[in-house]
Amino acid sequence: MFDLLKKLTQTTGVSGNEEEIRNVIKEEIKGKVDQITVDTLGNLIAVKKGNGKKIMVAAHMDEIGVMATFIDDNGFVRFSSIGGVNQYNSIGQKVRFNNGTIGALHYEQKLDDLKNLKLSKMYIDIGVDSKEEALKLVGIGDVACFVGDCVKQGNIIISKALDDRSGCAVVIDAINNMPKTENEIYYVFTVQEELGLRGAKTAAYQIKPDLAIAVDVTLTGDTPNSHLMEVKCGKGPAIKIKDRSIICHPKVKKLLENSAKKINIPYQYEVLEAGGSDPGAIHISAGGVPSGAISIPCRYVHSPVETACLTDIENAVKLLIESLCSFSG
Amino acid sequence: MDYISILKDISTYPGISGREEKLSKYIKRMFAKYCDETIIDQFYNVIGIKKGYGKINKKIMVTAHLDEIGFIVKGIDEKGFVSFSNIGGIDGKILLAQEVTIHGKKDIQGIIGAKPPHLLKPEESKKAVNIKDLSIDTGLSYNEVKECVEVGDFISFSAKPMVLKNNKFSSKSLDNRAGVAILIDIMERLDKLRYDWDVHFVATVQEEVGLRGAIIAAYNVCPDMAIVLDACHGDIPDVSKDSVYQLGKGPAIGIGPNLHTKLTKELIEYAKEENIPYQIDVEPGNTGTEAWAIQVSKTGVPTLLVSFPLKYMHTTVETVHLNDIKNAGKLISGFISTIGNEMGEISCC
Repeated sequence: MFDLLKKLTQTTGVSGNEEEIRNVIKEEIKGKVDQITVDTLGNLIAVKKGNGKKIMVAAHMDEIGVMATFIDDNGFVRFSSIGGVNQYNSIGQKVRFNNGTIGALHYEQKLDDLKNLKLSKMYIDIGVDSKEEALKLVGIGDVACFVGDCVKQGNIIISKALDDRSGCAVVIDAINNMPKTENEIYYVFTVQEELGLRGAKTAAYQIKPDLAIAVDVTLTGDTPNSHLMEVKCGKGPAIKIKDRSIICHPKVKKLLENSAKKINIPYQYEVLEAGGSDPGAIHISAGGVPSGAISIPCRYVHSPVETACLTDIENAVKLLIESLCSFSG
Repeated sequence: MDYISILKDISTYPGISGREEKLSKYIKRMFAKYCDETIIDQFYNVIGIKKGYGKINKKIMVTAHLDEIGFIVKGIDEKGFVSFSNIGGIDGKILLAQEVTIHGKKDIQGIIGAKPPHLLKPEESKKAVNIKDLSIDTGLSYNEVKECVEVGDFISFSAKPMVLKNNKFSSKSLDNRAGVAILIDIMERLDKLRYDWDVHFVATVQEEVGLRGAIIAAYNVCPDMAIVLDACHGDIPDVSKDSVYQLGKGPAIGIGPNLHTKLTKELIEYAKEENIPYQIDVEPGNTGTEAWAIQVSKTGVPTLLVSFPLKYMHTTVETVHLNDIKNAGKLISGFISTIGNEMGEISCC
């Protein structure tokens, strides 16, 4: 699992530019499903055929990042955010453009109060001294992802883009270990989740499944002076009750609960007060799709040091497999 | 229709957004008395169909959401206090000293406490009340609470209804259970009228969290016209006059880009002809109602908005005037009976 996480998190795939990560995932699941297609928006859809219920599994493969908007005469690159980029998490970080160019992200020195920090007061330094030199490496509209190694320390994984490559890893591992089932399963690696659940929306419309389960990360309440939230790293995958985009269908909550009990893994409930996720778009698509989610507890979401527990990720795989097999309508 | 008894009945029945199943079954039984067919969809929208007498196959959908605002359990502390998060828009100020019901393994009564004025520091009394700082006291110990309450359980207000003077009525969740009562009133009135189109009455779910039930229902019903029933703000002191409507002066008819120009005019004409009191609700953009979602469903739906003035919205003392409820039912049922076979494609103006 760690090797897979490392491979997935270290591949670039900023929302709207998911080619590279899509190809990596495609390689991982080749030959394990009956059909693999890429739709208009770029969602990667892998189908395991069957005569049973139609289930959609969604994990988004895009990640947050930045886009170059302006290059000044001295070669400094101004940028805009793609998805929810926090200015404070960005200070002193490295970003990597698709062609491999690395830049240092910092803020204007005359800023006397960090409280006033905005992304518009920040720039990317790619180590050149003219606009002309800069343009050889970075074009306006080029996107870059944050740089953040993937490391394992005991049971903990620290990396950039665990949101939601950890979810992608769960789905890939489930595909590779799926026992026989009559259910027809659509494994969808969605695009543009970070821009507003956009890939999941079009994917759900074309698939029109009987049920949808998403795998994504969720926030935790287990760090010093954190917001009150019951979810903790290492206490098992969380069954989503709600976030700002969805109140999960009671039947899906029940399915996930019963599956977790049956295979005897620890689980917790997620009541997320901020943020939305793919099932939010899926459940109101095409006349309504009962939807829910398995969430991986993750600290420091949307930073280059997202932190999750390996055992939670592994248990999420087991929970997903059991739920997919036991769903009968 | 006996408005007071039906409003008392359905306004006190719990049905928080996302957990409407029981209420939906209850409403379905009420619809079944008047409808040719009654169904509950996968998301617990209740759909009652009354077949029209016309020869063409046209549908009008009339919606009122049945869900209500409430809370969800976020955590239980070591003393047994239950912390919570809101479902739908709730101002923390109204929560002090409220009675609630936690819908756990069984229903448990609780109260949201408040610091006595004697112990409030001067600066505290000036502060806003934040939901995250409040908790529910059930009287039970940590272990007792843990036995029947889990994170993710839903919580409803347990306020009692009250009949006020001059035909006014107060209760929790009249937004939009009064709308649901109007749906039933329209059904009853249509029993005595002739109408050509099929009428699909939908008591929708999850309006308070983003019009979600209406999005699903509009897609599945695929109507040729829709009328949305909801509450608008009643006149209260200290608010700007252009966003509130007088109680007792009749239902408000919405005008604006969210609503169909020609049909709106016809609805107003009908109200005038029949001497039904009405007010005009000017909506320059998003009406914040299900009309916003329904209008753009599939290839577009000509949509109308009728609302009844309601004071103290999203509190436990929401107040309506019974005449407005009655007149909304009269207006919409009568209008439906004027929609004839001859009405072909409905153009934009």
